[in-house]
Amino acid sequence: MNPDPFGALFAGLGLLAASAVVSPFLAGKRRLAGTVNFLLTAAAGAAFLLASVRSLSSGAAGHATASVAVGPLSITFLADGVAGVFVGLIAVMAMAAAFYSIRYMEHYADYGLRSYYFWLPVFILGMIALVTVDDLGPGFTAAWQVMTLSSYFLIRFEHRKRGNVRSAAKYLVLMELAWLLVAGGAFLIDGHAFGHAMPEIAAGVARTGGAPLAIFLALLLIGFGLKAGVFPLGQLWLPDAHSIAPSPVSALLSGVMLKTGIYGLLRTFFFLAPASGAAFDSRAWGAVLATVGVVTLFIGTVQSVKQSDAKRLLAFSSIGQIGYIVFASGAALMMSGGPDAATQALAAIAVTGAFYHLLNHAVFKGLLFLSSGSLLFATGTKDLNKLGGLVRLMPVSAAVAGIASISISGMPPTSGFASKWAIVTSSLLGGGAGAVLVLFGIVALFTSAVTLACYVKFFGMAFTSAGTEWTVAKPVREVPASMLAPKVALAALCLVQGLFPFLFYGLIASAFRSSEGFLLHGAFPAADPSGTLSASVLGIRLAGLFGAPFNAAASPLVILAVLAVILLAASWLRKAGGGGQRTAATWLCGYQDIGNANRYADRNMFAALKGLLRWTGGKTENPGP
Amino acid sequence: MVMGIVYALVNVLVFVLLAPFYDGVARRLTARVQSRKGPPLRQPYLDILKLLGKENVISAEGWPFRLAPLSAFASILAVIVLVPLGAKANILSHRADVITVVYLLALGGVSVLLGALASRNTFAMIGASREMMTMIMIEPVLAMTLIMTAVKVNSLGLQGAMAGVSASGFGLSTGLMLAVYLLALQAFVAKQPFDIAEAEIEVLEGPFIEYSGPNYALFKLSMMLKQMFYAFLFVSVFLPAAGTGVYPLDILIQLAAILAVFVLIAVVGSTNPRLRIDQAVRYYAVLIFLSLCAVGLALKGL
Repeated sequence: MNPDPFGALFAGLGLLAASAVVSPFLAGKRRLAGTVNFLLTAAAGAAFLLASVRSLSSGAAGHATASVAVGPLSITFLADGVAGVFVGLIAVMAMAAAFYSIRYMEHYADYGLRSYYFWLPVFILGMIALVTVDDLGPGFTAAWQVMTLSSYFLIRFEHRKRGNVRSAAKYLVLMELAWLLVAGGAFLIDGHAFGHAMPEIAAGVARTGGAPLAIFLALLLIGFGLKAGVFPLGQLWLPDAHSIAPSPVSALLSGVMLKTGIYGLLRTFFFLAPASGAAFDSRAWGAVLATVGVVTLFIGTVQSVKQSDAKRLLAFSSIGQIGYIVFASGAALMMSGGPDAATQALAAIAVTGAFYHLLNHAVFKGLLFLSSGSLLFATGTKDLNKLGGLVRLMPVSAAVAGIASISISGMPPTSGFASKWAIVTSSLLGGGAGAVLVLFGIVALFTSAVTLACYVKFFGMAFTSAGTEWTVAKPVREVPASMLAPKVALAALCLVQGLFPFLFYGLIASAFRSSEGFLLHGAFPAADPSGTLSASVLGIRLAGLFGAPFNAAASPLVILAVLAVILLAASWLRKAGGGGQRTAATWLCGYQDIGNANRYADRNMFAALKGLLRWTGGKTENPGP
Repeated sequence: MVMGIVYALVNVLVFVLLAPFYDGVARRLTARVQSRKGPPLRQPYLDILKLLGKENVISAEGWPFRLAPLSAFASILAVIVLVPLGAKANILSHRADVITVVYLLALGGVSVLLGALASRNTFAMIGASREMMTMIMIEPVLAMTLIMTAVKVNSLGLQGAMAGVSASGFGLSTGLMLAVYLLALQAFVAKQPFDIAEAEIEVLEGPFIEYSGPNYALFKLSMMLKQMFYAFLFVSVFLPAAGTGVYPLDILIQLAAILAVFVLIAVVGSTNPRLRIDQAVRYYAVLIFLSLCAVGLALKGL
């Protein structure tokens, strides 16, 4: 087998470009354009997955790079393990979004789809390019601009709606600012020129020290932080942009585009900065990242609880979940310079947790945005005050949204549990690198209860409870099968991510192993790492750290088995009496039937808590019809 | 291996068989404080048996309403299977940790909420909203109780964390956490002054208003189990284990101590009026702050 991933990678990019050329011409026939776009995206996705597998199986075979000459400049591509996992992730989410778009875009009957089917493949192309280019100059600029411009046009798709163009323009301006910070910041490096590839930049970083290096890192943190949506930068654009885009685009924005910001942060702090050796204070920068992350996860999630617009709720919650990833990365950075071997071993768990949560969040948040799209498609509204009682009308959508909701809330035995466990465990045990990590871990744990509140609200108010029978005039039907199929596929993936964490620990470890220059390279040896971490089908277990015989364990499959046995027993117990079952009307003290005037609307949920946390802000907007 | 399974089964049996008894004690004591005679101690057993034999009346079609009582029961019982009763690790103790237990307890809470929201009843949803706020504010206190000892022994394992004082001795942090736990106890077990979500005379049992028959029996039993679990946790963490090494004797000592905790719960519960949710939430915020301080002290080795 040819181990070179670039053939497949460039073939995939070519297929996306072809889709951008062909699909818009067919836009008069909506479903045909969607189908053609999906087929080409799927072919491209298959190529990307192949490239991803190849980049992972290349092992630590040095830099897997390729150069493409564009006029006088040459653009270098890098496909190491970390880039490979990102490419695979983008491919999976892009295929789901493209499939979903075929029927979903019928929702926008007043808008032509020519621009949509031009910009959608271009957007995916831009994201793939951004995670594979290997410079901060021409390649980075081209990829960033393609991604930013295409997503700008996708966000302003409903441009006749008031405020949408303004929100999209705000997004564009801030992303250009981010580009300026990153590409401009690079000139602080000793001897930097626009055309330099990453190895040359790393060499430059090694010569740069003191204030210029610190400012360079700070600029990149702000630049990529803008993209990733960390507090307070994410609040400037993210909720507005994500909530107005068509749902498959929102799924891509939240699911994968934010992750390109994380990718930038990973590359900056785990690959580039360590090149400067002692001049890079990993503990201080780790503390900065961890603090930013923990503030982001708390504020973002609390702001999310306050929202009644389903998509705004999901968007704010994306900020919160990004916070977990940034926090875990910072914690890993802090612990990497920890005082003892055990703390350094925990750094590997933390960074694995960050990466794992990134993969999990992409899937369940993509799924949640597709679910909110289904709500919009079926009922015409995304206002949780108006929704309710859809579980009987849309059973499959409800089941899928339920899976995504308990996953993001971190309930065992789902994917959110598996990754948040790694993040919280490593920070609670990693107090040796700074007591503040333990407090941060507690905040993260507290915040996952708030996340739970968010999604109890989202799922409960949309699918259970009551509302649509009075607020939605048209008959509500389950969405068509071609919209259910990508959701069901993602839900299945989400379950696999939760039940078999050892697969993903293995995947992430091999990604780090086959990436040269990674700060924690030593923590991911090819052989079994000293038995501290055992990952098997039964779950993940930490033992022997700090001399304790057992440290922590998460075993989703075991928990699932225990829960299933008890569920069956309880279900038997419920039937054992043989009393039968009967349906009766909702009982409101005998005076009234439930109706639109006396039902409990979403805005009333958690009033006392919202009052207590008023200081956290978070603009709520009337979502309109 | 075999003994590991036996210990897990003993957990289940002891809790399921005795939880109604402790509830009976609490009801009887409450009645005595209020100058009533009170029901016999076996009344909760009879209640549950009778409910199990009755017809299930449901107010909403669909799986969430039917799943909720089952998953509420399953998650609290799953927690109980994991804990080291009588200070004995069982077959599952090394497959789970403090974080698993905290999340499983949350899963139990969510099940109650799911049932409440699915029942379409306005009272139930008011109750659900209050229940969720209570959960958000009070669960960190529980988590920090376990984390405080976990950081002392550098292990999030249940045996280490729940051995608590007997593993690490009394200190400033343990003393503070003990006080906080006692202040939070009524909220953990949802008794007055913190029975805000159920509040019979205000929102008519809140989340459970539409549940009856076997469904309600499962909810009722899971609430009793939850109360016994929180009492057990207090006993396990803060009372130095008898440490006789004789497994049945250790269990008996813990059960006797749990009885004492229930006496406390009943007496406090029967002499205090219910708070409003906004008052309670502010109160919980203070508890969270104090338990953070306790964890901080534990980190300083105090």
